[in-house]
Amino acid sequence: MYRASGLIMQQVRQRTPIQAMANKAAPALITFTWRLQQQQRGTATSSMSTSTKQTATPPPRHDWNRAVSEAERIVGYPTSFLSLRWLLSDEIANVALHLRKLVGSAHPLMKTAKHLLYNGKNTMQAWGLIVLLVSKAAGHAANIPDVEQDKSAGVLHSQRALAEVTEMIRISHLVHNSVVNLQSSTQAGQDAGTYDDMSFGNKIGLLTGDYLLGHSSAELANLRNQEVVELISSAVRDFSESEFIGERDEQNNPLPYKPGTFQMPSLNVGVDFNEHDVMAPMPIAQVLGNPEQEWECRNILNAGSLLGKSCQASLKLAGQSETMQRQAYRFGKHLALAWQACLDAEPFQCPTLPLDVTFSLVSAPVLFHLEHDPSLYAQLEKGKQSVENIDYDKVHKAILAGPALAKTKALQRKHTEAALSVLQHFPATDARQALENIILAMQDL
Amino acid sequence: MACLSTSGRVAYGTRRQQTHKFLCQLFLNHSLRGHRHSSSLSTTPGFGTHRLSPQPLHFGFLSRRFHGLNINSGPAAVHMSKDYFDLLQNSHSANGSCGHNSRRSSHRSNNLQYSQCSKTNYRQHSSVHTQQPAGPVREIQIDPYIILDDELKYFYDDVRDLLQSGTSQSELDTIACYYFDGQGKALRPMVTMLMAKAINYHLNNDSHQLVHKQRQIALFSEMVHSASLVHDDVIDQSDFRRGKPSVNALWNHKKVTMAGDYILSIASIMIARLRSDDVTIVLSQILTDLVQGEFMQLGSRETENERFAHYLTKTYRKTASLIANALKATAVIAQADENVAEVAFQYGRNIGLAFQLVDDMLDFVSSTETMGKPTAADLKLGLATAPVLFACEKYPELNPMVMRRFSEPGDVERAFELVHKSHGLEQTRFLAKKHCNEAIRLAQELTESPYQKGLQVVADLVINRMK
Repeated sequence: MYRASGLIMQQVRQRTPIQAMANKAAPALITFTWRLQQQQRGTATSSMSTSTKQTATPPPRHDWNRAVSEAERIVGYPTSFLSLRWLLSDEIANVALHLRKLVGSAHPLMKTAKHLLYNGKNTMQAWGLIVLLVSKAAGHAANIPDVEQDKSAGVLHSQRALAEVTEMIRISHLVHNSVVNLQSSTQAGQDAGTYDDMSFGNKIGLLTGDYLLGHSSAELANLRNQEVVELISSAVRDFSESEFIGERDEQNNPLPYKPGTFQMPSLNVGVDFNEHDVMAPMPIAQVLGNPEQEWECRNILNAGSLLGKSCQASLKLAGQSETMQRQAYRFGKHLALAWQACLDAEPFQCPTLPLDVTFSLVSAPVLFHLEHDPSLYAQLEKGKQSVENIDYDKVHKAILAGPALAKTKALQRKHTEAALSVLQHFPATDARQALENIILAMQDL
Repeated sequence: MACLSTSGRVAYGTRRQQTHKFLCQLFLNHSLRGHRHSSSLSTTPGFGTHRLSPQPLHFGFLSRRFHGLNINSGPAAVHMSKDYFDLLQNSHSANGSCGHNSRRSSHRSNNLQYSQCSKTNYRQHSSVHTQQPAGPVREIQIDPYIILDDELKYFYDDVRDLLQSGTSQSELDTIACYYFDGQGKALRPMVTMLMAKAINYHLNNDSHQLVHKQRQIALFSEMVHSASLVHDDVIDQSDFRRGKPSVNALWNHKKVTMAGDYILSIASIMIARLRSDDVTIVLSQILTDLVQGEFMQLGSRETENERFAHYLTKTYRKTASLIANALKATAVIAQADENVAEVAFQYGRNIGLAFQLVDDMLDFVSSTETMGKPTAADLKLGLATAPVLFACEKYPELNPMVMRRFSEPGDVERAFELVHKSHGLEQTRFLAKKHCNEAIRLAQELTESPYQKGLQVVADLVINRMK
């Protein structure tokens, strides 16, 4: 069944996206994506012009876009086809039709959709790609029959399906995360003018996320490997658990703990999942209060778990040893953490905070600064109802004056190096080289 | 459109006869139940007492409350009127499906209790019975909840333990466990376990390990059902469910959404641990069906002809698929052959469709107190269910209201009134009954056992439930 869909995809790949969509006769979808592209073009050009003015650095040694497109060539994986395929399904065409009603409303779902359709370097679009590269770098056991292999790309058909599931689960989490809290006690719930738009957006977002989850579980089931199902399901669990950690504002945006909340000394060494029991949750309580370990735990749940477990599952499908599977998990985890540290550092790269840019209050620089100077919490406390009430410029300035950015950079380097050192356990291949290039390009972003 | 016919296996005539036989039987049972205080069995000599339970003792079961499923057991309620009986027969001969019955509109509109019938009436029908004595007879009244006590006793505790073991966040645990308070009907796990044990009996397999695995499938069915309730609450923004505040009234909607995903992921881990590829495949079908059903409910512009088919497909995907596939999974894990798995699936599909049809009907007749949610809730959500679609035949003015999803002021009230004026409710009930009869017929294909009998009793419970 998967092979059949693979054939369809190959056909689709040969056409241009617009042709393929026109054949499906979903005019609404086309106008919808077209509009989004228009909007993005606007934002993209403006942000490009500002960034060239500000940086004006010599061209980096490692170019991100080149690293990614070369990597795609290696595993025969145009990143766009994933989105294209499910854009073509009836349900999603239906969703697009409804989404059109939301264009212009302030529902966060629109922002998420925009991010997903626009392949910027700020969004880690390449998770499926990473899974495939790791699969190719590790190779597969000798006893895998020929029909299950995609010889030209050097990966198994099942691994390609798993890469797709990985992306679907990640997107479903992003989409579910754009649901707006409309409880009657909240501001959003009381704003009669936007209530209908918001509640409709919630409905669409919820169903779209469920659609992706449902389809990913069907695809997972077809892999006929229950250990893989178990592992990937536990990554879904980790995603949902990550949204419950610590204090939250009305819209569930995370807030840091008040300094001094934890009397017990927290662990200085990182914690991770119990490798013998996927059901056991992350023992996060042991590290709360230690900025680095707490940050690591939050982001393993939020990102590292899915990427790591997908890489691990992919090697399971290939019949690789437990040790190699473990290495693959560690690689995915460290890569996701390095990436997150890089994203966390980004708003602090320029001396003043760009207009309309905010940052997470549990991002690494904020947590590091709170450790250095607990008095910053007075500023962050204003966000208890809504993080929008915080004076981000003031916080930005305070953090830049402290050592937090340097610590964040060190954190990124730590995980980059960890990921690179795990890679040394893999045989030297073009796929491994591509992974190294992506990691180095990321460090230079 | 697989769910349009009750099953392709039976020639139409036979089914009609069977329904007929069953109705007589049912009619008889009801009459007897009603008279158990006043008369002995000897006063009704024409009934073939050898088939009915010779011991009045068994009727005692009727007065028991079935875990939230109230069967219509009061003496006043059980009498089936001649009107109703004729009505059913009439629509039978009309076209076999829910034909239009405009005669004798002496039906009381907002309850389905039947008026007393005279002794001569059932004497008259008793002759019909003696001519066709072979019918679905459940001479021993079985309470499925009692024979499954071992499996269901700590059912909700086990679900809660499982959910608790997967997270370190107490709020996530609280939201996820909120609907596993034991106040639900536990219909899905009950039917799943009945089918599981009926199949084990059929296959002559009494391994405890197997029953344990099947129980995990029952856990899965209830967990997926709850996860869908949790997500529905965010979508529908309704404030009450099962007589208590719904999750979206109590917690952050984003967290509620995540809790739904959490329940699903824990259920998937549990099923993956059964280490059966086929079971996982069968059960994953439930999830895709559920979402597709939701998308269908989102609204589409189908014509009047397509509307009923659309409604039935949606009902299958949203409700019946869960029961059908869970039952099929119990057969698959017992390594039953395809025929048995198909019987399990079709039984579940018919029970599921009947259950939802009755649910849609009760939405018009039940009071808020018994249902735990407001009446005419579907109309208020803009949904046209079977009673409305049937009523459209008699009152075409409903058509534009269906198309605009009862959005204009007064639409809901007017539609509610017209449904009660028409025979929409009786026709819905009749259709549900047809599915129940088909389910009973399917259950009879399995080896006779208390559980196989229980499966037949469930069909009665589904059609007679009041909440």
